[in-house]
Amino acid sequence: MPDPVFRPVTLHKDGEERLVIIWSDGHRSQYAWTHLRKECPCAGCREERLQPVDPFRILKPTELAPLKPVALTPVGHYAYKIVWSDGHDSGLFTLEHLRALCQCDDCGQAKK
Amino acid sequence: MNLPGAPPKVSLPGVKNVIAVASGKGGVGKSTVATNLALALSMLGRRVGLLDADIYGPSIPIMMGVDQTFDPNLTQFPLERHGIKLMSIGFLVKPETAMIWRGPMVHKYITVFLTQVSWDQLDYLVIDLPPGTGDAQLTLTQTAPLSGAIIVTTPQDVSLIDARKGLEMFRQVRVPILGIVENMSYFIGDGGKRYEIFRHGGGKKLAQETGVPFLGEIPIDPAIAECGDTGDPIVHKLPDNPVSKTYLTLASAVSAEVAKLGTPGELPTLQL
Repeated sequence: MPDPVFRPVTLHKDGEERLVIIWSDGHRSQYAWTHLRKECPCAGCREERLQPVDPFRILKPTELAPLKPVALTPVGHYAYKIVWSDGHDSGLFTLEHLRALCQCDDCGQAKK
Repeated sequence: MNLPGAPPKVSLPGVKNVIAVASGKGGVGKSTVATNLALALSMLGRRVGLLDADIYGPSIPIMMGVDQTFDPNLTQFPLERHGIKLMSIGFLVKPETAMIWRGPMVHKYITVFLTQVSWDQLDYLVIDLPPGTGDAQLTLTQTAPLSGAIIVTTPQDVSLIDARKGLEMFRQVRVPILGIVENMSYFIGDGGKRYEIFRHGGGKKLAQETGVPFLGEIPIDPAIAECGDTGDPIVHKLPDNPVSKTYLTLASAVSAEVAKLGTPGELPTLQL
């Protein structure tokens, strides 16, 4: 469990595909936007992840265009909300969750 | 500017400190503590506002002696009583009206009270929260610039269990906890004999277990209810009463804890 006193110091984009967060302990987290969307913590997405994949699902028009983040906004002192190009915006990523989702090499090794 | 999808951003540039008074459980005297704490802070020379965020059961109007409702189109809020700036849903709806509202309406009104009431320059805005860990608490932690939270409990286990839940909620949303207050801690009877009606020391024990400051013990006394029900809280009406002195001590302790707070600052943003 990450130390809850860690706070983001800066955020920036790494090209169009990645988000980078520099934390107060100096750790540099990186995330593919697709990874963040896949791990969206909202109730709807959590429920969807529990369902078996439907191979015959028909895509909605909004799913045909490449998905990208439209806005990343702080919520209080504890979370960020991501607004996606398909209108989805109900996921609140707490700082602890964001830290746990880090895809940097060190964190990737630690998770193996 | 509010970015798309972001909760409305509340800015209170003239308010130095915003303090939430919370509890897990109802009936622990949270509104009494919030009101008397606000008055005690005022008696220490601070400029104080009191926002009643208990939409479902507002108590501040009766406690502060405002026994009428007002037309919001003709009234400049906040009102002012006993030197404290006040806002409550009770100023807008009659006491016999039940507020049967879902979360979004609670969210709307609390946001309006924060943003459309002219709080002006204050050292402290004390917010009296409803009990629990629901919509009002989430709205405030997501939109208001809270400096810290005070958890009110009574000494017995049934209250402490819920106080711990309230405390944990503020921890999870990274609002600093200024400390725990044990209300109805003891009763001083005739001849100065002390009775611990609801047991004693639970608040202090909870503070030790959770690693937060213990801010003090407030006794139970019929004068507190009598003063509150007549719209002149004990700290204002009977400033030399021993109960009032415990509130002044509490106000000093709260001021000291607020002074220790670093400014966490807002989370950094990223324009996409």
